[in-house]
Amino acid sequence: MTAATDFEVGAMIPGRELVVTPERVQWYGDGMHTAATGELRRAGRNIHTDVEYARQQGLTTAIADGMMSTAWISSILLKAFGRDYLERGELRTKYIKPTNVGITVKILGRIREREARPGGAVRFVLDVWTEDLAGVKLTDGDAVVEAHPAD
Amino acid sequence: MLGGMISDLETGDEFAPVRYTVTSLMTAEYAHGVEETDEWFLSANNPLGRQVRIPLMIHADKMRLLEANCPAEARLSGKHGPDARVHYEYHARHRSPAFVGEELLVTGRIVERYMKRGRVYLHYQMEVHTADGRLVTEYTDRTLLKYRPGEMT
Repeated sequence: MTAATDFEVGAMIPGRELVVTPERVQWYGDGMHTAATGELRRAGRNIHTDVEYARQQGLTTAIADGMMSTAWISSILLKAFGRDYLERGELRTKYIKPTNVGITVKILGRIREREARPGGAVRFVLDVWTEDLAGVKLTDGDAVVEAHPAD
Repeated sequence: MLGGMISDLETGDEFAPVRYTVTSLMTAEYAHGVEETDEWFLSANNPLGRQVRIPLMIHADKMRLLEANCPAEARLSGKHGPDARVHYEYHARHRSPAFVGEELLVTGRIVERYMKRGRVYLHYQMEVHTADGRLVTEYTDRTLLKYRPGEMT
């Protein structure tokens, strides 16, 4: 297995591809509401869970919550950098196009910069994004992680 | 202006802080919601030896602040405003992990309410500290107050 400090500029970190199902959207809403209230909750009618309501708001269909894309990106960063990302990482995402429910998205990250730090640590800057199967970016962003050599 | 709807918020508004204790239910259910199956968030069986709050939960903390400070649009309680808001930018800096059982203090303010290409945005700034003063997360956020077709890009 490649150590996190071995990534070179231009390298892709392991990504993933997934279908934005209504169930996933509901799971996110339920999890967020539960986290925000401390009680087991189910998300109600909104632009993410209700196609008709989404259309009333000017959307073509229901869309995934932007935080879902952020979470998927965060997940590939966690897998690549582990504790270093969890404890001292930075993630910025912009939702530049709607992620419609039902589409397939790719979750991607590429090393943009690497800088050696004392003690064998490496500070990475990454481009991170999601795109549809036509290659259209839906969420764009960047991340910063200082990776430390494994013990 | 605090005390009304989210769309009433203005530049310089300082939210009344929110305190809460992180529970396993909050963390595990959020983890389920984002399909995160790593033991970091589900149990204490990880290198830190304690169940960790997912850093992404800063967004749930934002909802807590809005619930407490915009009672006319308390979305977690089922009160909705006339328009759907659309989250535009998330930016979190992780400063230290927070753990299940810790009490957290969430503070925040509206840095700016501004208009860009005819659209109204809110720029939030938030911090999360533990009750004993350790900085957990620094966060900024931009949200579009009202979605209009074709205006997301």
